[in-house]
Amino acid sequence: MSQQLIQGNEACARGALAAGCTFFAGYPISPSSEIAELLARELPPRGSVFIQMEDEIASMGAVLGASLGGRRAMTATSGPGFTLMQEHLGYASLAEIPCVVVDVMRGGPSTGLPTSPAQGDVMQARWGSHGDRATIALAPGNVQEVYSLTIEAFRLAETLRTPVAVLYDEVIGHMREGVVLHEPTPEELGRRTAPRAAFSPTFLPYEPDENGVAMLPDFGRGYRFHVTGLMHDERGYPTSDHVKVAELLERLERKVEPAVAAVPPERYRLEDASVVLVAYGIVARTARAAVDLLRREGIRAGLLRTRLLWPLPAPALTEVSSSAELVVVAEMNRGQWALEVERLAGGKTVLAPYLKAGGSVITAEELAGHVRRLAREGVAVS
Amino acid sequence: MSWRLDVRCAGSGGQGLALAAVVLAEAGLAAGCEVALTQEYGPEARGGASRADVAISDEVIANPQCGVPSILLALHDKAWRKFATGVPAVSASLESGSTTAVVDRDLVAVAPDAPGVLALPFEAVARDELRAKVVANMVAVGALGRLMGRFGSEIIESAVAKRSPSAFSQLNVVAFRRGWSMMDDLLPAAVSAGR
Repeated sequence: MSQQLIQGNEACARGALAAGCTFFAGYPISPSSEIAELLARELPPRGSVFIQMEDEIASMGAVLGASLGGRRAMTATSGPGFTLMQEHLGYASLAEIPCVVVDVMRGGPSTGLPTSPAQGDVMQARWGSHGDRATIALAPGNVQEVYSLTIEAFRLAETLRTPVAVLYDEVIGHMREGVVLHEPTPEELGRRTAPRAAFSPTFLPYEPDENGVAMLPDFGRGYRFHVTGLMHDERGYPTSDHVKVAELLERLERKVEPAVAAVPPERYRLEDASVVLVAYGIVARTARAAVDLLRREGIRAGLLRTRLLWPLPAPALTEVSSSAELVVVAEMNRGQWALEVERLAGGKTVLAPYLKAGGSVITAEELAGHVRRLAREGVAVS
Repeated sequence: MSWRLDVRCAGSGGQGLALAAVVLAEAGLAAGCEVALTQEYGPEARGGASRADVAISDEVIANPQCGVPSILLALHDKAWRKFATGVPAVSASLESGSTTAVVDRDLVAVAPDAPGVLALPFEAVARDELRAKVVANMVAVGALGRLMGRFGSEIIESAVAKRSPSAFSQLNVVAFRRGWSMMDDLLPAAVSAGR
């Protein structure tokens, strides 16, 4: 299949269409607007729905309603809009409503830098909504991956019945690269669990299947049930039973774990690496170039490129923390994911993150320079 | 030996530099290369100094953003001022680490008169010969494509036709050919190495 020259945001919209998205509600915002623009053109002729909402709070509400009605639903935004969506994202997590939310990250806080890249929403994707919310967040590193991980986001959302965020920055959103728009297989698309029994007065919509995923029917299928943002039992009705609530929270956290195996990291020149760069998104690309620069100078560098931010890809991170003398998390913020890696490493290795916030991409030279400096100072690196 | 070309197309928003870059990237893709195109967004795209960078390589492009462009096209003074800074050595040949600058003869006055700076009449040719000032970008693409020396004219010409709005498709192809031939006299002197 031949490659097409398309932009990251277009790849996202194409991925959504390939994944069977039939509902988009959103409010255009730089640098994500092209996603809405393309879907506004493509969805209605297919009999699908595109709604430009009054704001991002309403957008998320519409997405959840459509999803409960059985639609594969999504929205796309940037930091300021992602902020407004947090309330309903919490609702979606607890009520187990599948949806995909794309956040094309720009500089923040507040309206910040509308057309500059950043990776400042990583912790927001994890903790932006209150309570112990389990979540999934993917981080594509090139335009091809924006396409394939958007499809994967729908699969994870639908099969695990949870919101899935796709986070990438302005540069990837607007960059054009050659992309193969492959048609996903039924396995790559996945499908929702369905209730095992027809409706009866004893029907339990929130009864989990063997994977801990509630077998909620779509609205309009003849089942009568209740959806709430309150803690609920398997009937879907509010409960304050401490044991049931604790079990529910534990189940919701456990059910997102399959994402770790589903979205494995990419390892580059890690076999004998004493310095491991850890990066995601656009920075993983310059980090790869930095690895090559450092290797030429005799520094045994490697790269762990994660495509999954949440849940934390703990096995791979633990592995490099145990094997490397120095781990450098590079990200375009003031230190977010780096803290998680540090927590996980638990003192097993030297950590010296390279952080840059301000609206430009970390360059390979900057990153290599950081490692060189540490090597000169005798920090690890034999 | 692996190779990589970074072409920066800079101008004033509306001059069609983004389309010029898209055409070059499309040609690279058609030739089986890896390509990555980044551009400046924001108010610059609507009248300020704007740029679009194309990286073309025979291997995976790790870093999509170009440091030192191999070729810098500038169609406006303000674009030259903004994007030619940091271009260290202007050279007439496509050597790695140096830049060949291609500027519009009449639109860019601030570029130095140096061997590595080619001043060509893109807009004048578009306006006077082709009777359409707006195709100056495609005249420039012709000159750039020839200077790059990586792809035949047919492959770039197809990209021009593919990416042009249908009303401009034919005219853009004519403009591209004119730019390609513009390099006839200059090429042996302009490109002495690096191919």
